[in-house]
Amino acid sequence: MAETYPINIWINEERFKALQDAGLAGLLKEELAGMKVLIVPCNKVQRDKVLQVYPMAKYDKATTKSIELLPKAVKDKIYAMVVKRKTLNVMDEFLSGKR
Amino acid sequence: MRLIGHGGKPLVERVISDKAAARKKIAGLKTMPASRQMATEAIGIAYGFFSPIEGFMGKADVEATCKKMELADGTVWSIPIVYDISNKEIADYGIKVGQSVLLTSDGHPLAIFDIDEIYTYNKEVIAQQVYGTKEEKHPGVARTYAYKDKFLGGKITLVNQPKVREPFTPYFLTPRQHRAKFAEKNWQRIVAHQTRNVPHSGHEWLMKHAFIAAHGEMPVEQMETMGKAISGVLVNCIVGEKRAGDYIDEAIVLTQDELRKAGYFREDIHMVSMTFWDMRYAGPREAVHHCIIRTNLGLTHHMFGRDHAGVGTYYHSYEAHHLLMSIPKEKLTITPIYVLEWAYCPHCGEVTCIGLCGHWKEMQKFSGTKIRSIIMDEVKPTRLIFRPEVFDVTMHSAKKYGFGSPFVTKEYLAKAKPAFSVGPL
Repeated sequence: MAETYPINIWINEERFKALQDAGLAGLLKEELAGMKVLIVPCNKVQRDKVLQVYPMAKYDKATTKSIELLPKAVKDKIYAMVVKRKTLNVMDEFLSGKR
Repeated sequence: MRLIGHGGKPLVERVISDKAAARKKIAGLKTMPASRQMATEAIGIAYGFFSPIEGFMGKADVEATCKKMELADGTVWSIPIVYDISNKEIADYGIKVGQSVLLTSDGHPLAIFDIDEIYTYNKEVIAQQVYGTKEEKHPGVARTYAYKDKFLGGKITLVNQPKVREPFTPYFLTPRQHRAKFAEKNWQRIVAHQTRNVPHSGHEWLMKHAFIAAHGEMPVEQMETMGKAISGVLVNCIVGEKRAGDYIDEAIVLTQDELRKAGYFREDIHMVSMTFWDMRYAGPREAVHHCIIRTNLGLTHHMFGRDHAGVGTYYHSYEAHHLLMSIPKEKLTITPIYVLEWAYCPHCGEVTCIGLCGHWKEMQKFSGTKIRSIIMDEVKPTRLIFRPEVFDVTMHSAKKYGFGSPFVTKEYLAKAKPAFSVGPL
């Protein structure tokens, strides 16, 4: 299986409700004592583009093996796209047009 | 009273408190502005945080520090404390060996620097021997390579004490003041928790583990009475140069204090203070330096977890433990407490030590990065992994001090006021 470089979007009540309404609550995973997280996969090309477009983010290869420290506003947009498209595979569309 | 510091030597206190005496002492001296880095170190030297050194190191001490991890007199020492200067500055300020100059900070007198030596030292040798690498992407190496052409060695005497701003004011204590606090509390064993983090429950349990280990064979009955504890935890926050993405210092200090205020530690066993020090991320060598500082503060024990003061993948997770174990007890008198990670176990439904719990496959490890990610998402974590009061103080600090973020941003670096300033004498 190809390696993925996920983005973790942590879920509060507001985000949870929108996912539930869209019938997507089943996509959530639980981590750290029951915290809900939406794990959006990225491939290597998408990961590199994310890190290039958002230099404050970093790929944490030592511990979480995920793309971390993306600003909330960016994650809000990715999250909204997941809800709208009803799929986790949104990164190509999200990154299209971004330099 | 004469106090004893690291190496069994008297605690250094080179401070002229009397302003009139200080003004008299500096009359006629040449002045030279000190960079923020150098001012920070001069303050640390003068108050005795770095006892037994009394000034910026000369070449023999730097050489011994790099090559043998000790001062020229054989005292254990791991990180060079140097004053760098360019050839142009030496010429412009007319610096000569045997002279005293007045270092200034924020345009005001700070300290007298008695210059004993002007020398050069190979920066790559410092990098390799102190940090174990010559790679400039290591922040300690980058700092080393950024040093100017030459170094000045000689004693420092503080003539004008820095003013520490809010909210740090109550947390800055000199080594002598730390010891007075411990005596007031009747603490006989005190374990240091070194931090530059807002605490999650994993950190909290590390501290509790270290407290129990440090208290050891001491009697416990009196602890049934609040206020009668004879052991304590000192959370000593490192306040210094920051990197983008670090927690802001205000959030670190205030959230650590909140753990006690909110009752996760008893009033009589927990205390928060801060030390000015620019982290070098020297991993094992920095661990030794932390032992030296905390010995000077009067602590008896020091907690060390995994990846202590490291960065990237330059050091093994327990390399600091190995180095500390190699130093004879009589040379480093503080007792290290080695601790394993604490993690959340969904099977047990609690935070537990990975050295105790058998549900390894289910264990959910704490990751500082992951928790920063949760906080950035403005999602309140579950109380088992992050105390709600700590979260509230984090977000309050973000609003009040961090320009909206609990993490260091470009705006914070540009606009935040320094933790200390120096006023007119």
